[in-house]
Amino acid sequence: MGFSWPTCFDRILRSIRVLIEAVLVTALQFAAVLLAPLDAPLASAEETIAPAAAEIQFLKEFCFQCHAGDEPQAEISLEILAQADSPQKNRSLWTRVQNVVARGEMPPADEPQPSASEAESFIESVRRTREASDRNAKPDPGRVTMRRLNRAEYRNTIRDLVGIDFDPTEDFPSDDIGYGFDNIGDVLTLAPVLMERYLDAAEKIMSRAILPEPPPVPKRHLDAQYTEPASGEVASKWIENGFRRLESDTTDPLGLGPLHTPYKWEADGAYTFRTRLYGVAPEGQEVHVAILLHGPGLSDPSPESELATVAGNILRPARLLKTVVIRGRTPESTDEIEVSIPPAVDRQRVLVGLVRPSEGQGPVKIYVRHMALEGPLDTRPPSQRVLLAVTPGTTTEQQTREVLARFLRRAYRRPVEEGELQRLIALASRAQGAGEKWEGSIQLAMQAALCSPKFLFRVETDEQPENPAARLVDPLQLASRLSYFLWSSMPDDQLLDLAAQGKLHERLDEQVLRMLADPRSDALVENFAFQWLQIKRLESFVPDAQRFPQFDPPLRAAMLRETELFFASILREDRSVLDLLRADYTFLNQRLAQHYGIPSSEGQPITGEEFRRVSLAGNSLRGGLLTQASILAVTSNPTRTSPVKRGRWVLEQILGAPPPPPPPNVPELSEEPDAVTAASLRERMEIHRRNPACASCHTKMDAIGFALENYDAVGAYREQDGEFAIDARGEFPDGTTFTGAAELRQILLGREEDFLRALTEKLLIYALGRGLEYYDRPTIDRIVSKAKIEEAKFSVLVREIVRSDPFLQRRGTPAEANQGARGAE
Amino acid sequence: MNVSFTPIPRRTLLRGLGVSLALPWLEAMGPFRAWAEEAPAAKPNLVPNRMAFLYVPNGVNMADWTPGEDGQDFHLTPILQPLEKVKSKLLVLSGLTADGARAYKDGGGDHARALSAFLTGARPYKTDGLDIRNGISVDQVAAARIGDQTRLPSLEIGTEHGAMAGNCDSGYSCVYSSTMSWRSSTQPLPKEVHPKLVFERLFAAGHDPSRGQRDARRKSILDFVQEDAQSLENRLARQDVRKLDEYFSSIRDLELRIERAEKLPPVAVPNDPPPTEIPAVYEEHLRLMADLMVLAFQADVTRVCSFVLANEGSNKSYAFIDVPEGHHDLSHHGGDGGKQAKLRTINLFHVRQLAYLLERLDQIQEGDGTLLDHAMIAYGSGIHDGNAHNHEDLPILLAGGGCGTIHSGRHLRYPRETPISNLWLSMLDRVEVSLEKLGDSTGALPDLT
Repeated sequence: MGFSWPTCFDRILRSIRVLIEAVLVTALQFAAVLLAPLDAPLASAEETIAPAAAEIQFLKEFCFQCHAGDEPQAEISLEILAQADSPQKNRSLWTRVQNVVARGEMPPADEPQPSASEAESFIESVRRTREASDRNAKPDPGRVTMRRLNRAEYRNTIRDLVGIDFDPTEDFPSDDIGYGFDNIGDVLTLAPVLMERYLDAAEKIMSRAILPEPPPVPKRHLDAQYTEPASGEVASKWIENGFRRLESDTTDPLGLGPLHTPYKWEADGAYTFRTRLYGVAPEGQEVHVAILLHGPGLSDPSPESELATVAGNILRPARLLKTVVIRGRTPESTDEIEVSIPPAVDRQRVLVGLVRPSEGQGPVKIYVRHMALEGPLDTRPPSQRVLLAVTPGTTTEQQTREVLARFLRRAYRRPVEEGELQRLIALASRAQGAGEKWEGSIQLAMQAALCSPKFLFRVETDEQPENPAARLVDPLQLASRLSYFLWSSMPDDQLLDLAAQGKLHERLDEQVLRMLADPRSDALVENFAFQWLQIKRLESFVPDAQRFPQFDPPLRAAMLRETELFFASILREDRSVLDLLRADYTFLNQRLAQHYGIPSSEGQPITGEEFRRVSLAGNSLRGGLLTQASILAVTSNPTRTSPVKRGRWVLEQILGAPPPPPPPNVPELSEEPDAVTAASLRERMEIHRRNPACASCHTKMDAIGFALENYDAVGAYREQDGEFAIDARGEFPDGTTFTGAAELRQILLGREEDFLRALTEKLLIYALGRGLEYYDRPTIDRIVSKAKIEEAKFSVLVREIVRSDPFLQRRGTPAEANQGARGAE
Repeated sequence: MNVSFTPIPRRTLLRGLGVSLALPWLEAMGPFRAWAEEAPAAKPNLVPNRMAFLYVPNGVNMADWTPGEDGQDFHLTPILQPLEKVKSKLLVLSGLTADGARAYKDGGGDHARALSAFLTGARPYKTDGLDIRNGISVDQVAAARIGDQTRLPSLEIGTEHGAMAGNCDSGYSCVYSSTMSWRSSTQPLPKEVHPKLVFERLFAAGHDPSRGQRDARRKSILDFVQEDAQSLENRLARQDVRKLDEYFSSIRDLELRIERAEKLPPVAVPNDPPPTEIPAVYEEHLRLMADLMVLAFQADVTRVCSFVLANEGSNKSYAFIDVPEGHHDLSHHGGDGGKQAKLRTINLFHVRQLAYLLERLDQIQEGDGTLLDHAMIAYGSGIHDGNAHNHEDLPILLAGGGCGTIHSGRHLRYPRETPISNLWLSMLDRVEVSLEKLGDSTGALPDLT
C-alpha cells in the first residue's frame, strides 16, 4: 500500500491527541500556576519555550480584534499568550484557543476566517510548541491521592493476609472509574454505605478465620461386624456376641484378617484411632495386635519384613503404626488400644491385624468389638492456626502482643508503631476483661484493624506533607506500590523484608521479574487489561436476541476467556506487546471455535469447554485483539455494529488519540426516512458525514470501523449485512485506502510508536493511580524508547514504569496551592 | 389512633401486565410499624411527609409528554396515559431548567452533567478523576436535616452500577453519569442495586436478635479506628486529609445509626423471606426496588429516597418491549419518526413503572389518607430531548399530596429558565427544612399549593 502517514490522518490524529492532553492539563492548570512562585528558584533551570512567531501572528490576525485590550470580549484576553513564557505559564488558555479553533467555533462566522490550512498549521504549531514545552517541563513526580483499596485489591489483600477463600466484597458498591480505571485515588470515595460494608466484611472475614469455639472433633464408630473383609459368611462364621474373631491358624481370609475400614481424611489433620478387643491364647502365651495404615500413595511405608509379621493379606503400601500386647482375655475384660495417626498424604484405611505367633507357639485369636476414629483433632481453620500461632511457653500478654504485632505489620504493610499496637492490645484486653475468650478478643482486635484507614487506604505518610520537593518514597511504601501495581494485593514477606532492610530499591529489577512470574500477577490481566480494553462492559452487553440468537451466557464467557488467556500469554511468555495486535495464535474452546468458524486446530477438532491454544494460519480471519469477539461486541450496539464506536475504540485504546466529543445538537446518525429503508449502514453514515461538523472526526473513525465490518455485533464473520454485501474498505482523508481487518492491522503495526505510547500511558495511569499530566511526558518518552530497544517486551514496559520517577518518587502539596486549586473552576 | 393497612393484591396487578413476581413476602404485608401510635402524643403532625426522586435518562419524547392544556383541565398525553388512576394526585410541571447541565465552556458531556446537576442545581466540575466536585443534592440536604428522625437518613437505589469501564461521557468521570445523590460537593453516594442489600439495610437489624451485642462490638471497633486514625493526621497532604475526612464522616454516620437504633422503637420486619437475586427481567427489578421504597416509607425506616431507573446515557436495549435498539442510540433520533416512536415506547415503559409505584403508595392507608397523600414523588429527566441534548423545559412530574401541602391534579407551566432547584427548595420546605438556596435556585416554586 502506498500511502503517506505524515499527511492528513496523521495530523488530525496528532492534533486530537493534543486536544485531549490539553483537557487534562486544564484541570491542573491552576495548581500549576499557583505552584509557579514556589518553583521560582528552580524554574530558571527550565529552558523557556516561546510560542512560534506564526502562532502569534495567527492570534493577532484572527483573535486580538476582540480578545485584547482593556475590555476584551467575554473578558478573555489573549495578549498574554504572545509572551515568551506563555506555553508553560498559560497552558489552559492555549488549550482553549486550540480547542475552539479546531472545532471551528472561533473566530465567529461573521469575522474574518482563517483558511483550513492556516487553521491546521496553527494547531499543529501550537501542538509542537506544547510538546517541546512539556518535554522541557521541570521534573515533577506528581502526587497521588491516598488510595482506598478497590474491590479487587481488598479481596486479594484479604486472601493474602488472612488466608481464607471467599469473596468478602460481593456486597460492596462498585468502585467509580476515572481515567479509564477503578484504582484512581481521587475517584475512590468512601461513602457511609461502604463503611458499613467494611464493618460487615471484617466481621464475616474474622468469624471465618478464627473460631473462638472450634467445632467438636468429629468421631466415627464402627461395629466390628461391619468391618472388611466383608462377606455374607462373616455373620455366621466369624461373629460371636458382637465380637469379630480373627484366628492365626485358619486359611480363610475372612478369619485371618486383618480387619480394615476406609475413612475420609483431611491431609493436614492428626487423628486418634481406637479399637476395643480381647485375645485368646494358650496359657502363658502373649497375644500381639498390629495397627496399620494403608493408602495407595502413602509416604513412609513399612518394609516387607515388618509387614510380614502380621497375619493375612495386607493391603500395600502400608505403615505399621503400633504393635500392642493384649491383656484382656474375656468379653468382660477387653483392652482399648489407642493409636495416634499423624498428618500424612493419601491415607485411606486403618487395619487391625493379628501378629503371627512365633515358631513353636500355639494358635491365637482376637475378638474385636469395634473400631473408632476421632479427628482431625485440631478443628480450628488453617487460617486460625497461622494467625494465632504463638511461641510456646510465653504468657498470654506476650502472646497477644506477638499475634497482633505480626498481624498489624502485614495488615498495615509496614513495621508497627508501638502506640497503635498498644491501642489494639488494649482493645483485646478490654474484651477479655468483659469475659471474651482469648481467641475471641484477638478476633475482635483483628476485625478492628481491618476497619482502620491504615488498612483500607494505601497510606503513604509523609513527615513533610507540604514540601513540594520531589524525593524517593520510603522503601515500604515502594513495596506497596509494587505489589498493588503487579498483584492488586499486599506485599508479601519477601518484599516487606527487603524494604525493611533498605534493599528494595537496589533489587527492583529482580523483584519485578519475580512478581511477574508469580501467579498473583494474573491481577494485571483482569484488572488492567480488562479495563484498558474496556471489555468488562461485556458482562452487561445484551445484543438483540432476534438478530443474534446464538449469543448466550456461555458464548459471552468464552469471549472474555479468550481475551483473558490471550493477554495472559503475552504476560507469561514475556512477549512483545506488539503481539497483542499481530499474534498468529489465540485460545478457543468448542463454542468459540464454532462461532469463529475454526472447527479444528492442527487436524484435531476443537471440542469441549476447555480452552486450548490454537495456531492461526497466515490467511486466518482472526489474529490479535482487533478480531476478538469480546472487543468486537463491546464496540457494537445491541442491534448492529457501530463502525464509529469501533473506530473510536481503536483511536483511543490502541493509538492513544481519542477523538473529541461530538459537537452538541448533532444527531449520532441522521437517518432520512428514505435512507433508512434504501441504503446500507455505510451509505447512511456517508450521508451523515456530509455534515461538516461531523466529517472531520468521522472520516477516520468510520474508516477504521468499516475495515472491521466483516465482523458482526457479536464478532461473527459475515460477508453480507442483511441484503447488502459488506464493503470493508476504509479511506483516510489523505486518500489512503485499505480493506478489511488484516490491512488495518498492518497500518496499526506501522504506527508502533503510537501503540506503545498509548499502552504505556494506560499502564502508567494504572500503576500510579492518577491521571497523567503534561510533566509526565518525558517519563512516557523514556519508557517508550527503552521498550523499543528491547523488543517491546511486556516486562520491559513494566520494569521501566517501576523505574520511573513518578513511580519511585513523591512530593507534597503546599497547603495554599491546594486550596487555590479547589476553589478554581 | 388506629391505622390499618390493606393487604395489597400485587399478583393481580402484575398479572395484568403479563409479569409475575415471585415475591410472596410482599404479598401478605400487614402493618409493619404502628408509628402513629408510638409517636409522641404531643407532636401535632403525626403523619410524616416523605420525598423521593426518580430519574430517567436520555430525555423523553416531549411531543408526546407535555399536555396541551394548563391547569386542572389537562389531558394525559400518550406517554402519561398509565397515570390515569392517580391523575388527581399528579402535577405535571413544565418549563423547569437544569442550567448546571448545560455545556457552556465545558463542551460535551451533557449526559454526565444532566444526572449530576439534576438534584444539586450545581455545575459539575469537568474532570475524569482529579478533584471531582458537584453540589450537595436536595435529598442529602433533607437527610442531613431530618435524617435523625428515622433509622436510615436516606436511601439511594438504582438498577445499574456505576459504569463498568472507561470514560463515560466526554471527559467526565463515570461517577457523574451514574450518581444522582451527593452527600457533599465532593462525595458522591453510590446507589444500591441489589434488592437483597436494600432489604438488609432496611430491615436486617430487626432480624438479628444479637444486635445489641453486635452493636457493642462495633462501637468498640469504631472507637478504636478513630483513635488509630488520629496518628495519621499531621502526616498527610491535604488531598489525603480530605479522604480521611470522608472516612471520619462515614464512621460518625455509623455511630449515629447505632445510637438511633437504640433510641427508636424497633422496626417490624416483613415475615417472609427477603429477596435474594437481582431479577433478570428489568421490569421486575424496577418494581422490586419500587416495592422496597414503599416498604421503607411504610415502615418509616427512612423518609428520603433517590432512585435512578437507569444511568444517564444508558444504552440499554428494551427488546422485551420490542425496542431492541440501545436507548441512547435511539435518543439521537435525528427527527426520524420511527425512532421517536420507539423512544415513546421506552418513555411509556418507564412511566408505567412510576404508575405502579404511585398506585402502590396510594393503596396503603395511613391516617386520614394514603401513603401517597403523605409523600412527594418527583419524577423526570435532566435532559429535555435526547437528540438536542438540551436542558430547559424538562419533563418533570410531582406526585403525592405532601401531607396536604400540594394541590395536585394540574399541569403547571413555569416561565422558561425557572431553575428546577426551585422545585427542590419547595419540597424541602414541605419536610420542614428551610433553606435559603440550593445550587442555582432563585426562590420557592410558586403555585404548588
